[in-house]
Amino acid sequence: MAAVSGLSIEEQAARWVARMDAGELPEVEEEALQAWLADDPRRHGALLHAQAAWMALDPALAVPAMQDDTPSRVPRRRVLAYGGAAIAASLAAGIFLFDGAKHYATDVGEIRRVPLADGSIATINTASNVEIRLARTRREVRIESGEAWFQVAKDRARPFIVAAGRVRVQAVGTAFSVRRRDNGAEILVTEGVVEAWADGADGHRVRLTAGTGAFIADNAAIAKKPEAPSSVDRTLAWRSGKIDLAGDRLDAAAAEFNRYNHRQLVIADPALGAEQIDGIFRTDDPEGFALAVQSSFGVPVDISDPGVIRIGHVPR
Amino acid sequence: MAAWVAQNVIPHEAAVRAWLARSRVTREDIDELIQDAYCRLAMLDAVEHISRPDAYFFSIVRNLLVRRLKRARVVPIEALAEIEAYSIDDSPSPERQAAARLDFQRVMGLIAGLPERCREMVMLRKIEGLSQRDIAARLGVTEAVVEKQVWQGIRAVQAAWRDGDTAAAARLDALDVETGWRR
Repeated sequence: MAAVSGLSIEEQAARWVARMDAGELPEVEEEALQAWLADDPRRHGALLHAQAAWMALDPALAVPAMQDDTPSRVPRRRVLAYGGAAIAASLAAGIFLFDGAKHYATDVGEIRRVPLADGSIATINTASNVEIRLARTRREVRIESGEAWFQVAKDRARPFIVAAGRVRVQAVGTAFSVRRRDNGAEILVTEGVVEAWADGADGHRVRLTAGTGAFIADNAAIAKKPEAPSSVDRTLAWRSGKIDLAGDRLDAAAAEFNRYNHRQLVIADPALGAEQIDGIFRTDDPEGFALAVQSSFGVPVDISDPGVIRIGHVPR
Repeated sequence: MAAWVAQNVIPHEAAVRAWLARSRVTREDIDELIQDAYCRLAMLDAVEHISRPDAYFFSIVRNLLVRRLKRARVVPIEALAEIEAYSIDDSPSPERQAAARLDFQRVMGLIAGLPERCREMVMLRKIEGLSQRDIAARLGVTEAVVEKQVWQGIRAVQAAWRDGDTAAAARLDALDVETGWRR
């Protein structure tokens, strides 16, 4: 980025941020950035402002609108601040190696985006426990429960390996999600290629390309799911705080909402559970979903209980 | 740090600017004070200890202003005392907190307020999660074009925060229709 004179500090800072968003800076540009910053202390502030402005356009970073403001937000801020500090540190140092595991836990309904020191980003879904360790020779993530989507920064020297129970998923530079289930893990690939296997069955691996997914059981059984790319996008709508339904069964949709909310949806009439539904909803709006069901299927919805929303007639 | 600033400081920028304008600071000086304040934030090693980021940011700006006025020595002492005594209320109303919160609707409102071409690329980048390179390939443009639109997106958000995003708020109604029930 040579000819930047003639632009204001803010404009130059925004250009650097746009440039960094395109991918890791080549060494020459990294040096140019450091030199630019060193020239005028105000540029640090301008760069921070531009980074924050770019992040402000990220739905995954948004504070859930309905959330209680005080105690539950404190740990969330901490972790975000921590990730941010790591970015700032890696910016200052060029390369930032980091040892020791970090633990991240999300509440029900919380979606957290964690920028990692290597440039990768982990977006952690509702009610999840994830441990991340960036070591010198490998990057390791353990999903103890829940789900996360990873945008992996390319680093051939340090493979990025996600463990969910016995299931292992390895990527070099790509984006994919892993959701831990009771008896295995679900994998969805949004970019590039990953290899996945069950621990102890390293010889029995599956290669998954962008737009496909698989379920790998703890007993190493692999069920490949060729997904249409649009369905991968729908399944990962949670990254922007949404549930995207297209012909999904009502009971499956209700179970999906129940992952994100303490207020649970109960389909009182089992026959209703097989009905299909379309629509895009906010993960934190089970009531909106229930009311949509009410108007499309003409069934009663009981929202009087703050803990439970009942859909449909109770069968006799 | 940038995420913390996006969530906790930038939403209050318009209010602090408004206060400066009421204190008869010129637009040019406001820009400079705000710029200096962000520079102070960039120098922080950690932010965990800051429990009220809005008040913290405000006091940085106020201190910078007081210092500048003292140096200029053209302000009556009373005016200075008034500025020094002014502090942000300790417990902002829920309405004010809500207004200053970077919630989902506000983010979507910001995106909706971008110029069309810029909005298309920002949505591909932020919502679909495509890389700049993938966006370029999908839309059949060069990567430089995408990077430029990202740049403009950043500038547009900065301008929106600076001027207060009343316009963005007005667009929310229209947005609700889109994110609601499909078909």
